[in-house]
Amino acid sequence: MKTNIQKLRNIGISAHIDSGKTTLTERILFYTDRIHAIHDVKGKDGVGATMDSMELERERGITIASAATYCEWKGHEINIIDTPGHVDFTIEVERSLRVLDGAILVLCAVGGVQSQSITVDQQMKRYRVPCIAFINKCDRSGANPSRVIDQLRDKLGHRPVALQLPIGLEADYQGVIDLVEMRALYFDGANGETVRSEPIPENLQAEAARRREELLDTASLYSDELMEALLEERAVTADLVYAALRRGVLTRAITPVLMGSAYKNKGVQPLLDMVTRLLPCPADVEVTALDTENEERPVLLTSNLEDPLVALAFKLEDGQYGQLTYIRVYQGALAKGDTIINVRTGRKVKVGRLVRMHANQMEEIERITAGYIGALFGIDCASGDTFVSPGLSLSMTAMHVPEPVISLAIAPRDHKAEINMSKALNRFTKEDPTFRAFVSDETGETIISGMGELHLEVYVERMKREYSAEVSTGQPRVAYRETITRRAEFNYTHKKQTGGSGQYGRIAGYVEPVEGEEFVFDNKVVGGSIPTQFIPACEKGFRKCLTKGPLLEFPVTGVRVVIDDGASHSVDSSDMAFQAAARGAFLEGYRKAEPVILEPIMKVVVETPTEFQGGAMGSLNQRRGMIVGTQDEGVMCVIEAEVPLAEMFGYSTVLRSLTQGKAQFTMEFATYRQVPKSVAEEIARQAAEAKKKVA
Amino acid sequence: MLQNDTLARNPLNALGFDSDAGLLPGQFGAILARAGVGKTAFIVQLALNAMLREQNVLHLSLNEPVDKVTLWYREVFQHLAADLQIPQAGQVWEALLPHRFIMTFKVEGFSVPKLEERWTDLAAQGIFTPRVLIVDGLPVEADSRPLLTQLRQLAQQRETPVWFTVRTHRHEPREADGLPPQLTGIADLFRVAVHLDPEGQDVHVRVLKGLPEGADSSNLMLDPATMLIRKGVSPA
Repeated sequence: MKTNIQKLRNIGISAHIDSGKTTLTERILFYTDRIHAIHDVKGKDGVGATMDSMELERERGITIASAATYCEWKGHEINIIDTPGHVDFTIEVERSLRVLDGAILVLCAVGGVQSQSITVDQQMKRYRVPCIAFINKCDRSGANPSRVIDQLRDKLGHRPVALQLPIGLEADYQGVIDLVEMRALYFDGANGETVRSEPIPENLQAEAARRREELLDTASLYSDELMEALLEERAVTADLVYAALRRGVLTRAITPVLMGSAYKNKGVQPLLDMVTRLLPCPADVEVTALDTENEERPVLLTSNLEDPLVALAFKLEDGQYGQLTYIRVYQGALAKGDTIINVRTGRKVKVGRLVRMHANQMEEIERITAGYIGALFGIDCASGDTFVSPGLSLSMTAMHVPEPVISLAIAPRDHKAEINMSKALNRFTKEDPTFRAFVSDETGETIISGMGELHLEVYVERMKREYSAEVSTGQPRVAYRETITRRAEFNYTHKKQTGGSGQYGRIAGYVEPVEGEEFVFDNKVVGGSIPTQFIPACEKGFRKCLTKGPLLEFPVTGVRVVIDDGASHSVDSSDMAFQAAARGAFLEGYRKAEPVILEPIMKVVVETPTEFQGGAMGSLNQRRGMIVGTQDEGVMCVIEAEVPLAEMFGYSTVLRSLTQGKAQFTMEFATYRQVPKSVAEEIARQAAEAKKKVA
Repeated sequence: MLQNDTLARNPLNALGFDSDAGLLPGQFGAILARAGVGKTAFIVQLALNAMLREQNVLHLSLNEPVDKVTLWYREVFQHLAADLQIPQAGQVWEALLPHRFIMTFKVEGFSVPKLEERWTDLAAQGIFTPRVLIVDGLPVEADSRPLLTQLRQLAQQRETPVWFTVRTHRHEPREADGLPPQLTGIADLFRVAVHLDPEGQDVHVRVLKGLPEGADSSNLMLDPATMLIRKGVSPA
């Protein structure tokens, strides 16, 4: 295994669903000799693309889990993480982006920048991942790369720089003009494996010259040398242009744009060239970890192999030989036989087998060095865990994990399924932090929760296929919350005198709504009316009340509790007594503070042909949706709305029938908002009924 | 209470205009400034003011995506909320949102019949009935007269006042009537014209047309960071 970090690229391929990213990955693996035949995502040969390793993914023609794979191109090593395109699985995208140094943003030449591209782009911004754009499907009818470039600028706020010009489009698409080298590139052979470089066709020369001018203008902003060369009208070398572009890319100031058709085997090799030339190597990226023993101060990591190890487990998979943990080493090296520490649990772990992954095949390796991605066997850990050399106390920054918004009761069909289901749930919850599973105290049912209907559906399917756990599912349930809307005072005394030592505690203060926080506890007791040693017990008592709200037993959020007075007894006061007093005080204040129910609101983006705009808007309006706005994009129109999750079940079917299947939508969690009174009454009625059933 | 506070901080009210900022249904108002001075932030302030008075605002933006327009509103509201120390600003914001509808078009794809069709659609389905129309980013020039005339007809039919942002240029001299050349030949369509002028650390608000009698715009200064009236400057 090589260890030249300068020639290493860790890249992701992110895109809107159906932009062709899996096909593109497949072609990359073919041209880099990692696979020897091409299978298409929905191919007739039934083999499916190599990166779609899960059966379910093959069947649906979509990619759910990211598979890490490795390839080589012109002396460079490239690790590719294939990321999912559906918004329900964005935790996967986020996790992948966390470990990547650069990305290819795949855009469809017909569909352009779609809603999911925007979500993915925001995630790339969050993790400051530099990217190059690849406009795919230039052979499709309606392909218009210039429009997509405009959208990159207008919708995503990038500064796109076209490095290529298409030769022909749609059915007539032949190849690309390289605007840096000023050559026309054609892709010959049965699988486009031979790149033929020719002079630029005469009819495109003027256009190419104009586009090159634009390219040089932008690139010169990042290189004084190039700027001087242009001003002095000296010849400009390709290396000079690439160096300038690279500087722009690394700071995310520009986005180079390439184009092609992965399906038709065109334009993939130049894309690989640009990955190696323009995207950063691990040493170009500044990575910090948090020092857990020093108030989580950020510590800059080095890519030095001699330094102690810092590595992040970013993905788990259940393989034939036990748990497979995908890991990225940020500092030092990880070798077979090493002893490492899991920072979260503090447990020592001995490294057994190390492998490098290629979709679902693997290759044994001796060690993984800084900057590299690999996988290890037989290690028990969760996603997002940091591993370090003994003596180090660094943790990679916590990853942003959203709270689940929807839940579903599941029940195993038989005893065998019951055992398998618990195995499956154990695995899935470890793999995916947005997926949770627990047993309800009241009903005894197993509840799974996640980020959307499809998210949960996919896990139910995986249980069946991978673990042969047949389960029946109940109605999806929305994760409601409770909160208060006004300030209210409390003054509660807990007093019990039933022989033996009694219980006594008085707590006074107020509750009030707080924005952007789950719970705030402020102690303003002066003069020791509640002795200091009982204050933590008060807080504990209040916190305990949050899990089950007094209104309808939904979790309570957005409450600030301030205590400013109280009383204690020298003998009868205890932690227990003050916890009980806090409970009473909370109930007293809460009731007076006009509690309400909150429901999750989803940001829904519908893309529809203009003629169906009215109908689509109507359908959102009927679902208690608030339409934020509409965006006219020629033949297509984008509607943005905020709709309660409770109203979105089965919406895909409704939208399909309304628009003859021509519209699509994505949704993601936006916020929690107060439920209207009539709906709140209905929720209360249902909750009462459910309670009766349990009783 | 909140309404009164915001009215007091509304630059146009501070200049002596009434609560509808001087426009009757069907009339046009223009906010003029060079690129980057703060036309959008200013016009969003006018929109928020109407929304606070529970008037529905249709915000028409040319070339800006919905997300970006939403951000403008959020930002201006946050400045306003901080300035007025609005308690429970989050709840106020949530209550305001249903009073706004954003519609965006590409400049080349925009036409009045198209707007009319969308508008009718919204009203017919009971989704939204605008009371104020904001038009941001439409190139307003002397040759826009036919389009503006059509738009005025629509505004009159729907009894809606319309505010436009108009981009001016540094190098162009004012016309004899004090108006910038962008309004030449179309000035009669506008009842009110307000110019934003950067002056040192401030943005000076000048009413070029339609100043209410007895009002004086000479000392109204905005903070360019927030586009709100400078603290300590007492409204007229």
